[in-house]
Amino acid sequence: MVVIAALVVAALVLVASVLGLLWRTTTGRARRVRGPVVRPEDLGTDALGARATLLQLSTPMCTQCPPTARLLGAEAALRPGVVHLEVDLSERIALADRFQVLQTPTTLLLDADGRVRGRIGGRPRPETLARELDLLLESPA
Amino acid sequence: MTASVATRPTSVDPRAPRFGAAITAVVLLVDVFLGVAGATVAAVVLLAAVTALFGWGAFAGIRRHPYGVLFRRFVRPRLAPPAELEDAAAPTFAQLVGFVVTVVGLVVALSGVPLAAPIAAGVAFVAAFLNAVFDFCLGCELYLLLVRAGLLGRRR
Repeated sequence: MVVIAALVVAALVLVASVLGLLWRTTTGRARRVRGPVVRPEDLGTDALGARATLLQLSTPMCTQCPPTARLLGAEAALRPGVVHLEVDLSERIALADRFQVLQTPTTLLLDADGRVRGRIGGRPRPETLARELDLLLESPA
Repeated sequence: MTASVATRPTSVDPRAPRFGAAITAVVLLVDVFLGVAGATVAAVVLLAAVTALFGWGAFAGIRRHPYGVLFRRFVRPRLAPPAELEDAAAPTFAQLVGFVVTVVGLVVALSGVPLAAPIAAGVAFVAAFLNAVFDFCLGCELYLLLVRAGLLGRRR
């Protein structure tokens, strides 16, 4: 029984490590998509960014959301016409369903028309975010 | 321009919950070993202790958790100040998730299925390990799923 117990313990550590590595390689990466158009009223706001919007989907129970908000806010502040909006999904559940959010934070990159052009699950990698945002600004349509 | 989610309440050094999760992960792994190796009583008693500690963190708040006190007393003085603080709500919720998992294992084990103790310990271990090693917050994702299931938050 002791041998089996040792094997179970080793297997658990192995499985948890693989899960963690999988998560680490996928989180913070950007996917380029061509999604639906988000309107300001969907978010309870007046207007989106004139050139682009970083739409951060958060919940109050999310350790990575505040640092993500600081990163997105800083990147938006560097670029005229780019706005960072943070939405609490616990107050707008329909948004979570509509975009099938399974991870917080999830950041949607919206173009000038409010169309979803990119998606980042988890805390974005700063260089990934800057690259995707600049690409979006260079190819508006 | 930044529009923020509601004001963030009490903050903790993000390394404190991870330090606690590391201790918890090791203890849970020992518990799995005991349970599978046939030391049933020891496994159940140890799981009860872990459950009590999860309950402490969940109901008294993560800042009052004994591992948090250990961290502030012995670990933090040796480290550089944290780059940023994090909201105490998420790690406190994570303690509640751990409490629910271990209390279910404990109840099932005590009602005659001793293997439930190492199974619950194994599940809780994976969460604690991912938190400690990878800074992954399982409770955060569970919270989102509960919101989407309509059990938390406000539907609009």
